Amino acid sequence: MQVNGEKELIQVVDLHKSFGNLQVLKGVTEHISKGEVVSVIGPSGGGKSTFLRCLNLLETPDGGHIYFEGTDITDKKVDINVHRQKMGMVFQHFNVFNNLTVGKNITLAPVLLGKKTQAEADDMAKELLERVGLSDKVNQYPKKLSGGQKQRLAIVRALAMEPDVMLFDEPTSALDPEMVGEVLLVIKDLVKTGLTTVIVTHEMGFAKEVSNRVLFMDGGIIAEKGTPDEVFNHPQNPRTKEFLSKVLY
Amino acid sequence: MEFFSVMLQLWNEYWKLFLEGLGMTLFMGFLTVLLSTIFGAVMALMRRSKWGIGKFRPLNAIAAVYVEVIRGTPILLQLYFFYFMLPQWVPFLELTEFQCVLIACCVNSTAYVCEIIRSGIQAVDFGQTEAARSLGLNGRQTMIHIVLPQAVKNILPALCNEFVAIVKETSLASTFFVGELMTQFKTIQGITYRVLEPLTIVGLIYFLVTFVMSKLIALLERRMNASER
Repeated sequence: MQVNGEKELIQVVDLHKSFGNLQVLKGVTEHISKGEVVSVIGPSGGGKSTFLRCLNLLETPDGGHIYFEGTDITDKKVDINVHRQKMGMVFQHFNVFNNLTVGKNITLAPVLLGKKTQAEADDMAKELLERVGLSDKVNQYPKKLSGGQKQRLAIVRALAMEPDVMLFDEPTSALDPEMVGEVLLVIKDLVKTGLTTVIVTHEMGFAKEVSNRVLFMDGGIIAEKGTPDEVFNHPQNPRTKEFLSKVLY
Repeated sequence: MEFFSVMLQLWNEYWKLFLEGLGMTLFMGFLTVLLSTIFGAVMALMRRSKWGIGKFRPLNAIAAVYVEVIRGTPILLQLYFFYFMLPQWVPFLELTEFQCVLIACCVNSTAYVCEIIRSGIQAVDFGQTEAARSLGLNGRQTMIHIVLPQAVKNILPALCNEFVAIVKETSLASTFFVGELMTQFKTIQGITYRVLEPLTIVGLIYFLVTFVMSKLIALLERRMNASER
């Protein structure tokens, strides 16, 4: 089923999700267009991460639909693994594969899923590692990397699948302060290439700078949305105002 | 001291029996661990299976009950049970006493190995699974390439400890005179009417074997932690 033509990459319709008795998403409807950079901000427990994790079905929604490139991926008959290959994800806690070298972290999925031969993947890994300044680590295990290095590796691991959209789930929240910059720099470079990106973040300055659109989530719904200027400089919703007054000082 | 001279005398006279017993003990321990690793792995898979109707998952339920029952009853009782039950229920197999006891040991150990493997897999950070799935790997690929290689590091040392435990537990099999180390103590006791001296020798042998194995396991653990560094 095609919704709203070609431009919509992701279309979310009336998304609901509960954990036990706790209703985390109470009907979220939103669309992500090709080439957009969308930041999702809001207080903890507002449903930001759950919303993002529903997009590639790491959380199974209880109700509603998610159309990715025209396919309803909430349909049980859809092979979600095929669609996940086109949705890169970066986690708060990096989740780099501890049992694989830096190089293998990158090449495992493309080779295993038949997108590339090992030789092709190795070349690509070299290029990607160069891009994020980790060329000398290719044969090391993640244990030896710092948090910032791990997160940069996690980003290029996702890029190696040549995804159509990148999902970032609080990519800098678990980092030591001095490592936040290097990771944000990599993400900044990435969005410049025009790759569609959704970022859940607490870095307000960063969200303001890189995104085309900002979603403010609170209480399981999108309470306010607009351009960074609209949301940060002229918030309409009192909840947005209250939140921003707490985090911007 | 008379005690030590008798011990020495017994050793000189019967060392062959002691060593035979030790051989049998290690043989039983090894065979038990080997077999129960295979069955324990299958049992752990059943325990993790999501296959079922609604909330009822039969494979999971069978494995869960098995583990609880075996861990909740004494091993000596299990030995008795299989020793008498097998020849009665499956007489056509013509199992020897040793085989009956070995089967009982495997049945017992399988429950523990199942839990070792299950918790070894569970201890791998779930983020690893999520990352692999987010790249488009299916559940099986994730298990083989990401989870199991990391779980092995938790499982292998625990399995070796189970081997040490089994080596000691096989002493209970002496109830049925199957020829392991503790049986040899009873034999020598019967010949010489001496108790403490042969018992001490047997105890020393058990201790030496388990002590050396524990040290080897510690070494193995250190080695495994050293890789990937």
